[in-house]
Amino acid sequence: MNESSSAGATRARVPEPETTAVRVRDVTMDFGSGVPAVDRASFDLEAGKFLTILGPSGSGKTTLLRMIAGFQKPTSGDITINGKPVDADPPHRRSIGMVFQKLALFPHMTAAENVAFPLKMRRFDPRTIPDRVKGFLDLVKLVGYGDRRMHELSGGQQQRVAIARALVFEPELLLLDEPLAALDRKLREEMQLEFRRIQHELGVTTINVTHDQREALVVSDRIIVMDGGRIQQHARPIDLYRQPHNSFVAGFLGVSTFIPGEAAEGGLTVGALQLSGTHSSRIAAGEPARGAIRAEQIRIGPTPDSLARCDTKLAGTILDVIFEGERLLYVVEADALPGIAFHIYHHDPESFDLYQIGAPAAIGWNAQDMKIFNAAV
Amino acid sequence: MRKSVKRFSARIPLRLFESQPDERRKDPVMTRESDTSPFPYPLRWRIMDGLESALDAVWPRSMSRYSGWALVAPALLLVGILVLGLANIAESSLHTLDRSTFLPSEDYTLANYQTVADSATYWRVMWRSLLGAALTVVFTLLLALPYSYVMVRTPSAAIRKALLVALFLPFFIGQVVRAYGILIVLGTSGAVNDVLGFVGIGPFRLLFNFPAVVFGLVQYMLPFAVLMLAPALTAIPREIETAATSLGANWIRTFWHVVIPMARPGLVGAGLVVGTLSLTDFAMPAMLGGGSQDFIANAIYDQFFRTADQGLGAALALLLVALGSILVGIAIALFGAGTLGMGGKR
Ligand SMILES: Nc1ncnc2c1ncn2[C@@H]1O[C@H](COP(=O)(O)OP(=O)(O)OP(=O)(O)O)[C@@H](O)[C@H]1O
Ligand SMILES: [Mg+2]
Repeated sequence: MNESSSAGATRARVPEPETTAVRVRDVTMDFGSGVPAVDRASFDLEAGKFLTILGPSGSGKTTLLRMIAGFQKPTSGDITINGKPVDADPPHRRSIGMVFQKLALFPHMTAAENVAFPLKMRRFDPRTIPDRVKGFLDLVKLVGYGDRRMHELSGGQQQRVAIARALVFEPELLLLDEPLAALDRKLREEMQLEFRRIQHELGVTTINVTHDQREALVVSDRIIVMDGGRIQQHARPIDLYRQPHNSFVAGFLGVSTFIPGEAAEGGLTVGALQLSGTHSSRIAAGEPARGAIRAEQIRIGPTPDSLARCDTKLAGTILDVIFEGERLLYVVEADALPGIAFHIYHHDPESFDLYQIGAPAAIGWNAQDMKIFNAAV
Repeated sequence: MRKSVKRFSARIPLRLFESQPDERRKDPVMTRESDTSPFPYPLRWRIMDGLESALDAVWPRSMSRYSGWALVAPALLLVGILVLGLANIAESSLHTLDRSTFLPSEDYTLANYQTVADSATYWRVMWRSLLGAALTVVFTLLLALPYSYVMVRTPSAAIRKALLVALFLPFFIGQVVRAYGILIVLGTSGAVNDVLGFVGIGPFRLLFNFPAVVFGLVQYMLPFAVLMLAPALTAIPREIETAATSLGANWIRTFWHVVIPMARPGLVGAGLVVGTLSLTDFAMPAMLGGGSQDFIANAIYDQFFRTADQGLGAALALLLVALGSILVGIAIALFGAGTLGMGGKR
């Protein structure tokens, strides 16, 4: 057995672990309305990773993606892909596959012709094209649909054609602009897992744009949260969820209850009440601050004493009980914090009849779960 | 129960009380409709309401089954009159002209058709009309496609307006005046020959030949073709072209593989309109052909108004109708009524 040569061959096939595929530096796009659509965005993306740009409508996601695709020139800043500036080549010579929000499939071609189009345009050997097309239709589970026209396919099937078409020429970079937005929830969740599978199978560097937080958490290696054209946070999904940098990120992912107050040493002062918590951004004591606590991190019980392992306990009243299927959402007002509706998830729908609206209840949480942010951000 | 309960009706979790609309909001019913009404009832709706009640009076709901027929009735009337005229022409094409009395013969005969079939001149006229129409279609579409593409796609509103004005201006001038303009520009002492003389060549005889007629026809037909192509091109999403580019097609290949196939309904429609209008054109061959380049319409005119041989003129007219119908029939058979945007199967 020739160990050294097989090890060498293996190493040659595995891409360098830490290569930067996409480098975005201080990119600003100003359409001339005064407020830039993208404001000094900077990030690096490792080769083979799946990045999601997440943000509310109008936050500049599409604009950023179009600049990375080279369809739009930034007002200032640089974008490089594998070390080369995006606009070094004319658009049709770039190695970027894109799935558009409205798919942009060719209606006058069959599914197979759509997938073959980039191969023909990029002058692949005509003898290899049929096999390649078949292989990619296989990958997106569309075997037998090759000769259908676009109007003979369902939304999800068209979706897959668009993905196959963007991937078939093995681009260095795959860009997805909310391609799942138009699908119903079930199909969307199915396609999210599909994305993940295909991306893992091919290892193509991918940037996905969405305003669906669940999609972002499910499919991504990295998430960038944008708001008002600015990158708010760039992190792994789990870190983003656990350690949001500011109250926007905390509020955008998951359901949180915010408590306005003033920063204090090791917590938050709300009127006469002292709540202990963890400071997530640097704020001096006495500055306006907002405490945030996630719905799944609040416990609920009949009395404060019944809440074990909670270091903050408050007595209150049930305002509403909402049945959400796999969980219940309680809305509770604490006696000590009038005017604040605490949102609490309870993952045992059987207990629906446990609390009546208007009944007394107690809520509690742990200090480490109460994040305290600068109120200005 | 300890205290009054604020009931949350919204399914979406409310983060804070502070985001709740306050109770001081004015009741919309209380405010006077005239000045603060958020939704002024549009004038257009008022007019529609009036028209609808008027229609109810003349055309009761119970008659609605016949509404479709009522709507096509005017068009049917028009087509009916046309068919009647056609039958009349067909009838007169079956009588020869009696040269001694200058009256149509009493008995029915196919002699007029025989005359046309035996005449080398008429064959040449027909062939010239067909060739002229075909060339006009080709050149017009070649010029109209880029023109309407730029008009539809240009980001500059100024360019779009300029192109539209340049397109509509000739419409206001009319065909005969335009033909006179061409006569002046292309004449032996016209602007074109002046310029050529400046360079030291010419003068050339640019008028009264076949190319001059085709030139005039293309000039005449261009606006029709552009106006028929523009909606077809507008219907192609810009993103589809961006997609083609990102998949590796340069602009020429995008145009060839994506824009032209997707604009096919418009191209077929424009081709049919330009083709039939050119085939039956009278003014351009008459004025720019100088009598030497007659199309079928000119031959028909001669028979009706010069030699007063109604029968022969009618026979030629029917042949022209047949020729045009066959060509349109072939086009529809080839491309399908659906490609004309008429919702056929394909
Ligand atoms: N071509 C343009 N001209 C002027 N303003 C633009 C243009 N394109 C986008 N904008 C503005 O830039 C901002 C960001 O737009 P963008 O399309 O990037 O938002 P988005 O995050 O993709 O939103 P959505 O989730 O709704 O798609 C918006 O305020 C938008 O109005
Ligand atoms: Mg967008």
